[in-house]
Amino acid sequence: MSGFEALFAALTPLNLLLALAGVISGTVIGAIPGLTATMAVAVLVPLTFGMPPAPALILMGAIYTGAIYGGAYSAILLNTPGTPSAIATTLDGLVGAIALLTLAPPLSRVALAFGPVEYFWLAIFGLSLISAISEGSLLKGLAGGALGLLISCIGVAEVSADVRLTFGSQTLVAGINVVAALIGLFCIPVLIDLVATPGQHLQVVAEPRGFRLGEAVRVIMQRKFNLLRSSIIGTIVGILPGAGGSVAGIVAYSEARRAARPGEHYGKGEPGGVIASESANNATVGGGFIPTLVLGIPGTPPDAVILGALLVQGMRTGPTLFTDYALIVYTFIWSLLIATILMLPAGLLLGRYAYKSIITLPKALLVPSVAFMTIIGTYAIRNSISDVVIMIVLGVIGWILGRFGFAAAPIVLGLILGPIAEQGFVQAWTIGSAQQDLVGMFFGRPISIAIIAFTVFSLLSPLLMRRWKLKPEVAHVE
Amino acid sequence: MARGRRFILGCAAIATAAFTAAAAAYPTKSVDYIIPFGPGGESDITARLQQPFFKQMFGQDLVVSYKPGGGGAVGWAELNKHPGDGHTIMGVNLPHIVLQPAEKNVGYKTEDLTVVYWFHFTPDAIVVKADSPYKTLQDLIDDAKKNPGKVTFSGSGKGTANHLAQVRFDKMAGIKTTYVAFAGTGPSNTALLGGQTSAAWGYTTSAASLGDQARVLAVAMEERHPSFPDAPTFKELGYDLVSGAYRGIAVPNSTPEDIRKKLSDMIGKINADPEFKKKMLDGGYAMLDVPYEKNAEFMEKQSKAFIEAAKEAGILK
Amino acid sequence: MSNDVQRASSSDAGTAIVAALVTLFGVAAINDTYDYADFDSAVFPRTVAILLVILSLAVLLRWLAQRAGFAAAPSSETVENGGSWLRRIALVVVMLCAGFAMPWTGFLLTALVSFGLLLVIAMHDPWTPARLVVYPLVGVAIVLGFYFLFAKLLMVPLPVGSWFR
Repeated sequence: MSGFEALFAALTPLNLLLALAGVISGTVIGAIPGLTATMAVAVLVPLTFGMPPAPALILMGAIYTGAIYGGAYSAILLNTPGTPSAIATTLDGLVGAIALLTLAPPLSRVALAFGPVEYFWLAIFGLSLISAISEGSLLKGLAGGALGLLISCIGVAEVSADVRLTFGSQTLVAGINVVAALIGLFCIPVLIDLVATPGQHLQVVAEPRGFRLGEAVRVIMQRKFNLLRSSIIGTIVGILPGAGGSVAGIVAYSEARRAARPGEHYGKGEPGGVIASESANNATVGGGFIPTLVLGIPGTPPDAVILGALLVQGMRTGPTLFTDYALIVYTFIWSLLIATILMLPAGLLLGRYAYKSIITLPKALLVPSVAFMTIIGTYAIRNSISDVVIMIVLGVIGWILGRFGFAAAPIVLGLILGPIAEQGFVQAWTIGSAQQDLVGMFFGRPISIAIIAFTVFSLLSPLLMRRWKLKPEVAHVE
Repeated sequence: MARGRRFILGCAAIATAAFTAAAAAYPTKSVDYIIPFGPGGESDITARLQQPFFKQMFGQDLVVSYKPGGGGAVGWAELNKHPGDGHTIMGVNLPHIVLQPAEKNVGYKTEDLTVVYWFHFTPDAIVVKADSPYKTLQDLIDDAKKNPGKVTFSGSGKGTANHLAQVRFDKMAGIKTTYVAFAGTGPSNTALLGGQTSAAWGYTTSAASLGDQARVLAVAMEERHPSFPDAPTFKELGYDLVSGAYRGIAVPNSTPEDIRKKLSDMIGKINADPEFKKKMLDGGYAMLDVPYEKNAEFMEKQSKAFIEAAKEAGILK
Repeated sequence: MSNDVQRASSSDAGTAIVAALVTLFGVAAINDTYDYADFDSAVFPRTVAILLVILSLAVLLRWLAQRAGFAAAPSSETVENGGSWLRRIALVVVMLCAGFAMPWTGFLLTALVSFGLLLVIAMHDPWTPARLVVYPLVGVAIVLGFYFLFAKLLMVPLPVGSWFR
């Protein structure tokens, strides 16, 4: 492992400071009720645009880690004692980060074998996960995905020189920037609803009563299989293109319920439930970075934001990342591990002392602040006011669609995976036609066949899950 | 009225003095250098190479910022909205600024862009993997003749220098190959290394960044590139192909003549610096000097060549 | 990590309108694809647009079927959220105006003004004298803080605005 030079780099005071700052700011924003982890990442990541690549990556990873943890606060503090979940979450994050450290380098060597066809099928596979994450109507979820795919075509085509779907508008020639769209689709609808109702005066039911580490460790050890299983599920779901914390949570929770022992009452604040669903989230962070860094395909929605940010940096992800930027990448991975470990003390301290002030933050200040941050963050992407306007417009459209059952997540998936699917398809088609073996091209390559098999499985999974009575009633969507 | 006339003359004198003074004093603050692409590409790299020399020679900072979108079109469409005092300059590229407006409505016309200098180009080159069966250009041509259409080239984008080079060369050599467009030089190189295509139409710069992993079969230059002494030129092998992507600097059209001239001289000075030249050549770039006075003639010649090639490629109707 | 978006049930009129609009967009897109010079550019958007039209028509048809009582209504309940429409619209209007005004008024002025406006729009509790002082101060601090962070530290060229040039 070319790890140790990078480990020392990760331990420099500046990088440690960045990791800590990232974890804290991510946790704070993620903890604010009504704000999601993806929002936290989307709104804070623009801070990294001006930085050199290594610190930028470190900060992004730390923010992401903190944000997912922060998002679990409401579940943690309002229903169950906080510390077991905090420990579980940290352990999960470690599993994900270790997976990244051990799996990514060998995968990156294989990554050169991933040609246009494989990227195409990976994108289709990612899109097929819509059937797993669609709450409510599968039909609307698929329509949302198709809509996302379509708007990803707006602007100058990569595969040719045509200007598409701009309907005469000069503004749209630049295309819809993914980071701007993500900020819009995930933040604006939340703001629109936040502003409409008076603040919910959340009652902190369980007063934080000290850390109670001993008890917490006991609770965890009783459920160690649950913890390990949830971590692995989270890591795997993170690796799958496009799907993120919410899917991991659903799957982990279902599995935990299935394996519940007598005495565990799921649905009534059973710690095992929280451990399973909320902590699987943290494993998706490490897992999600694998396809993001190795292939340039985002593993989770926040990864799409991070990918966009890396492009702003000029860092090209993909197989060459581990060779050309090896030191930076390994420093980042070690830093992710460190950030995950830092999350425990940071999170516990914030939870004990700062949580009250976080959740009682007056909405009147929260809304303008977040709105302001979305505007300045979107502008910073490529110095474009048009992006800001598009961000707001998309956000409003997203809100309208959301009100009538068309969730944002499938649209975002389509938007992110659209260019990957299209370029993969056109390139594979061109090469396949040139070699006069289209069928062999699309269906004959071993890696593709494996991916197609996964796709079919994931399309069938809702039916399978229903047969095995696994789909829970409660579903969160990022 | 003598007094009136003297007044006007006086004003004119002051204005001229002011203008000349402005030109003489230029640059008086840092200069914004806008790159209409994202960071990491050739336009960015060469701008960064110019930065320290600009500061050293002229005492002001050259601040690079990015305005990507539409393959450069977004930046170029806005160029003339910037103040014309010479403190805002923008990178320009050929064939982009000729082909884009010709193909469709992108928000600007070629004539809208006031170019003051063309300072380098990246010559087209055919690049293959180091372990490729093609050892010379002739090997590739023979394979293409035996198997029309089966030899695939990866390249950056369609309607770009890479693509046009493939079209022109196919015609010259009497072969039929297939061009596969990728979203930039990076993905194009990755595809080449992964064996997804037989070869790549790239630039000498992409060959330089690939190092030992790749081999250059030929370069589209007048003479061999100093960084690739073993790579023959197309001309040597009998094909009159001298082309590539050209890069230069433009200013908003409200910029006064003398500032345009001064800026042209400044860029020329940087271009003449032996240290700067060495850095560029090491990176695989090829130097070029087309100052402001020669611009019109250069643009006309290049536009004709590119438009013709584009029509043959079926990109322009 | 819950999303606060409240969803209406599938038999809402809004579903039908949205489905119809999406269908129209799909059709417009298909139309646009016939103008492309290169066939390669048209393949993907056309396929996807056709898919979109089929799917959104399916949503529409299912809605009609439910209205007519042919298909079972879904079990997910309508969660009506009230909330002030005025404030929602005001939020969007202020944000859009901020975006459009910026080339003239510059970033800093626009940000401060819109922050203030949003503060008023989002304020549901009564204004006490303390709040009247503290909130705007906090707002100014946040705006200035991020402005310096982005403009000076991160070197992002935030718009200066033609009024100030």
